[in-house]
Amino acid sequence: MNSAIARMICRVLIVLMAWTPLHFAQAGVISTGLAVASTAAAAERAAVLGVIDRADVASGLQALGLDPATARERVAALSDDEVRSLAGQLEALPAGADGTGLVILILAGVFVWYFFFRK
Amino acid sequence: MFPQTAALRDARPQELPGRTEISSVPFYPQEEYQCGPAALATLLTHSGAKLTPEQLVPQVYLPERRGSLQVEMLAAARRNGRVAYTLAPRFDDLLREIAAGNPVLVLLDLGIGPFEQWHYAVAVGYDLGAGELILRSGHRERQVLPFPVHEYAWKKSGYWAMVALPPGRIAATATESGWLSALAALERAGHARAAREGYGAFLGRWPGNVNGAIGLANAHYALGELPQAEKVLRGALGRAPDSVVVMNNLAQTLSDQGWNAEALALIERAAAAGGPFAPAVRDTRTRILSRIQSPEPAGPK
Repeated sequence: MNSAIARMICRVLIVLMAWTPLHFAQAGVISTGLAVASTAAAAERAAVLGVIDRADVASGLQALGLDPATARERVAALSDDEVRSLAGQLEALPAGADGTGLVILILAGVFVWYFFFRK
Repeated sequence: MFPQTAALRDARPQELPGRTEISSVPFYPQEEYQCGPAALATLLTHSGAKLTPEQLVPQVYLPERRGSLQVEMLAAARRNGRVAYTLAPRFDDLLREIAAGNPVLVLLDLGIGPFEQWHYAVAVGYDLGAGELILRSGHRERQVLPFPVHEYAWKKSGYWAMVALPPGRIAATATESGWLSALAALERAGHARAAREGYGAFLGRWPGNVNGAIGLANAHYALGELPQAEKVLRGALGRAPDSVVVMNNLAQTLSDQGWNAEALALIERAAAAGGPFAPAVRDTRTRILSRIQSPEPAGPK
């Protein structure tokens, strides 16, 4: 894959990382961010995470250099509104194996769009 | 063409002063394409953070794109211990923040038609009678733009605007849930002290908000102030006896202080309630049980 896209994905991860350096650092207490998230938003977040967890999508992300575990963490860092929009785009996709390439492309594309083109 | 300007003209907001200008806002003339760092430094310096645009360049400037992303502007403000808040996309709110003494960073498209030229500037004043906005922008320390011209450039960013305030201060147009999310993001950025101050101010304004109390307690907890965290959580439990998060966090805080019996009773209640936090509650319960079975020899109590 071309190095410009790889660089962009790197940048996405850097941006996302900036949001959550301590997100998982406190064991025991439930974080304020999670407490604040609404139930509906939590369901949408779960749906997005479900897509990332699909074996075919996970391996595709891996091939793109995006570690699925990292992707999960990053999704945790998106705001409710951002997750809602991402969930909407994923829902419109075919669920079968044929759609996998498209799902991965959209996932990557949406990330890129969020952090690059929506200046 | 300029719906918000027209609305302002037709119904002038009553509570707003006719004109105002925050002249104490500093000016950093931008270098090259670096309007993002310059505008952000303007905002952060006015909020009391000691920063120059040069220090912000690595945090928000993307050389390949010759620009800065909105999320990075928000994140950089939070990294520097400020509450970053995106305003509702309304001209009215922009003016209300300025009237309250809060300079507002706006994203503009100075291009024409299909040619885009994105630009960050800081609105510091306005004159309702003349219909003019005053900005620190690019190389101009005091740019005066007629409302319609500003709206034309601002509309294409979806009327994007943000403020960055010291944690004890609340934005004039802040909503309860919006401000709480902004504080949670500040806390997530690792600024427990700033978050503690922010949640304190938040609870001063919205004392009944249980999530605000959870935030304050979490900030205390992160700072190792367990008795304070406990006190806040007990108060919250009084107001929201069914909150699983309050029960879980209070149980953890009690257990950390060595009071495992009370902690266990609480976490059993939380476990019985179920809900989306059940996995976290299970973890806490397991930890408390293991502490009861093999107490740490040098525990605090």
